[in-house]
Amino acid sequence: MDIGFIGQHLVNGLMQGMIYSLVAVGFTLFFGVLDVIKFSHGDVLMVGVFAGLTAFFGLDALGIENPYILVIAIILFSTALMALLGIVIAKILILPLKGAPPLNILLITLMLGTLLRESVRLFYPNGSNSKAFPAILPTDSFTWGNFSLRLDSVMLFVAGAAVIVGTYTLINRTRLGLAIRAVAQDEETARTMGINFGFIVLFTFALGSAIAAFAGVMNGFYYNEINFSMGLLLGAVGFSAAIIGGLGNLYGAILGGFLFAGLQTLAAAALPFSSSYKDVFAFAVVIALMAWRPTGLIAEKAYARV
Amino acid sequence: MTNRTGLIVENATTGYDSADVLYGVSLNAEPGKITCLLGSNGAGKSTLVRLILGLTPARLGRVSFNGRDITRMQTHKVISEGIACIPEGRMVFSKCTVEENLLLGGYGEKDDALLTKRMKTVYDLFPRLAERKQQLAGTMSGGEQAMVSIGRGLMSEPSLLIIDEPSLGLSPLLVKENFKIIKEINERGISILLIEQNVRQTLAIAHYGYVLTQGKVVAAGTAQELLKDETMHAAYFG
Ligand SMILES: Nc1ncnc2c1ncn2[C@@H]1O[C@H](COP(=O)(O)OP(=O)(O)OP(=O)(O)O)[C@@H](O)[C@H]1O
Ligand SMILES: [Mg+2]
Repeated sequence: MDIGFIGQHLVNGLMQGMIYSLVAVGFTLFFGVLDVIKFSHGDVLMVGVFAGLTAFFGLDALGIENPYILVIAIILFSTALMALLGIVIAKILILPLKGAPPLNILLITLMLGTLLRESVRLFYPNGSNSKAFPAILPTDSFTWGNFSLRLDSVMLFVAGAAVIVGTYTLINRTRLGLAIRAVAQDEETARTMGINFGFIVLFTFALGSAIAAFAGVMNGFYYNEINFSMGLLLGAVGFSAAIIGGLGNLYGAILGGFLFAGLQTLAAAALPFSSSYKDVFAFAVVIALMAWRPTGLIAEKAYARV
Repeated sequence: MTNRTGLIVENATTGYDSADVLYGVSLNAEPGKITCLLGSNGAGKSTLVRLILGLTPARLGRVSFNGRDITRMQTHKVISEGIACIPEGRMVFSKCTVEENLLLGGYGEKDDALLTKRMKTVYDLFPRLAERKQQLAGTMSGGEQAMVSIGRGLMSEPSLLIIDEPSLGLSPLLVKENFKIIKEINERGISILLIEQNVRQTLAIAHYGYVLTQGKVVAAGTAQELLKDETMHAAYFG
């Protein structure tokens, strides 16, 4: 097997893993603070990407061409808007249902996801077709033999890693993160310490949704194509990744994301007939892993759980 | 009425979905004093704590603290009025370190220097905790967890500290030690509302007390009065 082939799969796998991890982190945060599974997470990601695309069209119409300004504006607009959407969802759908059976929240967020997806399909101009996502990152490449590494991939990967490290630091090293962990462990005692529970929930939903938007934009820049249903698979994979890692566990979510991407890549590289079996293969392994370790791969470990 | 200081509960009635628990409970925890609330299992003591903290809202009645109505306040606002609570069963954050637990106790205080100072006071009171700052609270012994919980309750420098059954699950020696510490805390000027079942030792340090039976206050008086009280004896020793 030649080095270029392996290298290409490796880069692709790492990029996918990063995107999945970022989505999984959201699931794990929401479950941590509120014990809810928010099935609309993938669709929030998708709305975030479309928001980013819209920001691009807007700036483009204003004649702004500097790629760095465009990229930063797309990311900021998308993450800020989804943070806001996360807050609205938590405030009007999740918090009022606190104390209701978890199944109800699951069902409601499932319907919300459909609503978001269908809204984009119907109301976004020409929303039912795939859209090109702007390729504005520099595409210079470094070449070793027949393996070439593109600068845009490196930039995206570094940015994703920075978001993960930032989230980790926020949760484990700051006062706010301490409050989030306290709420995750014992809501009532956390409130008794003087922690504003409602604020922590809203903040967590804003954070998780912004991270999802970031993952979506990353996905858009990497594949340069987006569509209204992209959140379905990303949501399912992110959720599985969070589950394999042990729901509520931050390391687990990150590990799960990379593990899932690793399985897909392995299947794509090794299964000769068709790489379209890669999802089937990865999900099958996940199912086997779940049967083997029903509570996730990482035994719940202290500070790791948010 | 509102110019009276300390904690005042007037005619509080509440309960859970399933059943009413408190029926028109009135109680007053005066500043600087140790007020105790005695009552057997299921009498509604912890429910009264929850009501004061706003965790279980009052259905009827009123709660005020230092003249401010706190009846409908959210819990974190009640805490910021200067009330702290050492909950029943200690409830340490088991996946956080000792130090993090203490920091959570002082969550409302944003001044790091002040928090460090308070933490030092706690470590002086419990040198054992200083040695184990970085240990996860969940891996500590029951007695050590009790120290964490007490220390955490002191971190906000409350003017009123509510302590719910601190003796639960401690050896007689530690129980004795605990009462001594509660007295010391009070001597530093912190008012205390002490929930207990341990009648004699509690009345030995309390100034004033209430007896709760099936959600109603059936006796109230100074510690000396309660020691002699008939109802009290019927409820406890009878
Ligand atoms: N969260 C709850 N939901 C429903 N009922 C509750 C809840 N908490 C307490 N109760 C009920 O309220 C009554 C009073 O309970 P509470 O915990 O206030 O008693 P207590 O005096 O603190 O008892 P103990 O000394 O055993 O701690 C009990 O009958 C109990 O079953
Ligand atoms: Mg109790």
